[in-house]
Amino acid sequence: MTTNLSRRPEPRVPASAPALEVRGLVKHYPGVKALDGVDLVVRRNEVLGLAGENGAGKSTLLKALVGLVRPDAGEIWVRGEKVRLGSITDAANHGIGMVFQEQSLVPNLTAAENIVLGSEGPGVRHGIYRWNTLRRLAQEQLDKIGSHIDPLARTDSLTFADRQMVEIAKVLRIEERTSHPPVIILDEPTSVLESKEIETLFTQVRRLREFASVVFVSHRLDEVLDVCDRVAVLRGGRSVGEVPAAEAAPAELHRMMIGSTGSDDHYHGAAAERRDEPRRPRLVVRGLSGRSFRDVDLDVHAGEIVGIVGVHGSGREDVCRALFGAEPTTAGDVVLDGEKLDLSGTRAACAAGVGYVPAERKTEGMVGPMSVADNMTLTKQKSRCTGPVVRPGKQAKLVDGWIERLSIRTPDRGTAIQRLSGGNQQKVVLARWLVAGDVRLLLLDHPTRGLDVGARSEVYRLLRELANQGVAMVLLADSLEEAIGMSDRIVVMSDGRATTEVAAPTGDKPTPLDLVKEMV
Amino acid sequence: MSTPVITTPAAEAAVTGRAGVGRRLTSFMPVIALVVLLAALTVADPGFLTLNSLTAAARTSAPLVVLAAGATLVVLCGGIDLSIAALCSLATVFFALWLPDAGGLTTVAVIAATAAIGAVQGVAHVLLRIPSFIVTLGGMSIFSAIALVISDAGPIRVVDRDATHWLTLYVGGVVPMAFVVALLVVVVVSLVLRLTPLESWIRATGYSESAARLAGAPVDVVKIAAFTVSGACAGLAAVMLVSRNFSGSPTMADNLLLPAVAAIVVGGTAITGGHGSLWRSLAGALVVTLLRVGLPIVGVPSAYEQILYGAIIVAAVALTLDRSKVLTIK
Repeated sequence: MTTNLSRRPEPRVPASAPALEVRGLVKHYPGVKALDGVDLVVRRNEVLGLAGENGAGKSTLLKALVGLVRPDAGEIWVRGEKVRLGSITDAANHGIGMVFQEQSLVPNLTAAENIVLGSEGPGVRHGIYRWNTLRRLAQEQLDKIGSHIDPLARTDSLTFADRQMVEIAKVLRIEERTSHPPVIILDEPTSVLESKEIETLFTQVRRLREFASVVFVSHRLDEVLDVCDRVAVLRGGRSVGEVPAAEAAPAELHRMMIGSTGSDDHYHGAAAERRDEPRRPRLVVRGLSGRSFRDVDLDVHAGEIVGIVGVHGSGREDVCRALFGAEPTTAGDVVLDGEKLDLSGTRAACAAGVGYVPAERKTEGMVGPMSVADNMTLTKQKSRCTGPVVRPGKQAKLVDGWIERLSIRTPDRGTAIQRLSGGNQQKVVLARWLVAGDVRLLLLDHPTRGLDVGARSEVYRLLRELANQGVAMVLLADSLEEAIGMSDRIVVMSDGRATTEVAAPTGDKPTPLDLVKEMV
Repeated sequence: MSTPVITTPAAEAAVTGRAGVGRRLTSFMPVIALVVLLAALTVADPGFLTLNSLTAAARTSAPLVVLAAGATLVVLCGGIDLSIAALCSLATVFFALWLPDAGGLTTVAVIAATAAIGAVQGVAHVLLRIPSFIVTLGGMSIFSAIALVISDAGPIRVVDRDATHWLTLYVGGVVPMAFVVALLVVVVVSLVLRLTPLESWIRATGYSESAARLAGAPVDVVKIAAFTVSGACAGLAAVMLVSRNFSGSPTMADNLLLPAVAAIVVGGTAITGGHGSLWRSLAGALVVTLLRVGLPIVGVPSAYEQILYGAIIVAAVALTLDRSKVLTIK
């Protein structure tokens, strides 16, 4: 394991300085330390892999590198020169460009127009487009990466893989802004590619190395090891080390990613309190199909937590939403406690005792400007009404009771929920399903996303308590560690299908590696 | 258990504090504007602050209050209803045409018809997933044209004045009945919202439609209901206009669209949805009415009125818009 992070190379010779260096980068968000002193070195003409679990700080780091996030502390050096990156343009001027996970091309323009968009250079004279020059510029970019895409093809007529090539060609325009070799960042470039397309991408990445430095981010560890020269690992917003790719195994990387602190003990401890009596099946899903998933079978018993794990694009989020009536299905039967579940809309699901905690808490989970009380009673309006009439006293008593029971820290029930910390917001969102006491199935999409450690363990305890009371749960965990710790059973999804099921009883938990093997 | 109570370090708390003061200020803004305007007009013309002119102002304001109150519901849901004035004009024509046959039931029939038309717009907005701005802009054009066609492009005299006579009475000899009815509309609708889950649903829909939907709120029904009430209000406002003008005309209410939108935004109801109330629109409508009757007093030709409305709308939205909610300003 080589580390040259402690080196303080001032004064340095620019010629030998790394292409990009990050020192002690810190970024706080309310309630979360996204970056907690990250160090990173990107050498010239190398492909650096960046690995880390969700929430390890990868995306924040990348955003800081292209000027989309302003760090609270720390330094960014480009070729031996300290820089401040205030915008994407700043970063481009220093030769740093990024191919975004969500593609950033304008679909109704041609590939050529997209490539030169925003960096037209000699393609625009006196405010007038010079089409021939633009096309030539675009063709040069495509030639650079050896791509045979027709520059005049409309972008939305290209395959996803081709569009990615266009993005790479576009990003390489930053070469025009600086005489130095550029640094190209690829954020999860393989997540939606077929295996053959991935091979093409890797060829491209190796070609880029000839004249640029590449930062490559992927969830799939085997890919990272395949294409990278070196892999740096982030955990909890810190750099935990780096390994030469040639010497490392996925297992070793994974150990670094999740740490060996045994921090999942508390799940086990809590789980040990569980009653282990025979349970009746509560949710039975057969052959459920939709846009991004096919033929999914799933059983969840009362009081059981079933985790679904899978890489980005496995379709697990959509299965969750489909069970709540928020995502259309094309086939399949869903039975809840012996009755067919109506999947036509969210209201029907709520009425049947199904609850859903969305991953995007701030935009989908809660209504930010509304009070804690109104958020908590938004779904089960009957719980605060007599007939059709709202009874403020009834609501106050109910809400105050749950605030106390879940130790929700809020000045009072009338406070706008957006003023609470993430953990307390999430407890209010969970309470929404509990106030009426009729919830039978809870669908949890990343219920601990963006929460700090303390808030997480409170949510874990609450979920465990609910399971003990007989609520069935489907959990899409934030990390494998969380899925293993919390779940009684784990279903692995891959490419829209439920491929494997792994038992995860207390005392006999699978390791993250067992699951990773099934996921990829 | 180390969850902090409030999200933040001091910096953000300060921002929240300032927003708090700002919010409190904007919530009193329409009332402050009302008082300032009254004072200014009294200074400009000491004869203004008399029972007679106030009664006249209240009578003039009634249709505007009703129109603005209905459209406020749509705005609270995060949409906009641009068709209210055209629908109101159409309704005056309906009234004039139907009165000979329907007699005393005409008022009810007109309001039912406009409510149904509002509902159709709501259904188009929800089911076809067309922005409310477009649906009601199209509606505005369609209703205007229908009004022109069925009225032969001219005013229709209302001879039988019994059906609207009640609106021209005065309660206690001073308060115009039309204004009382307008107040009742605001009170009743506000109460229904406050006393039922509707307010919760409307606010959630306006603040964050996806969150409301995922919480199981009946978003579609709420939106259609808002358009229906907005349509019904346009019908009621039409009856008020007919009671004053003794005729129905295909363009009678057309100059009320801008004042109604101005009333809503001056009242401080967020054009992005969620935040606001009918009470605010009532205050806003009174401000707009005072400006309208006050301009000639201070010697501004009434031709300049429209400039004022345009400026008021832009300025009021500029002051109250929560830009953090609007990702791209379109």
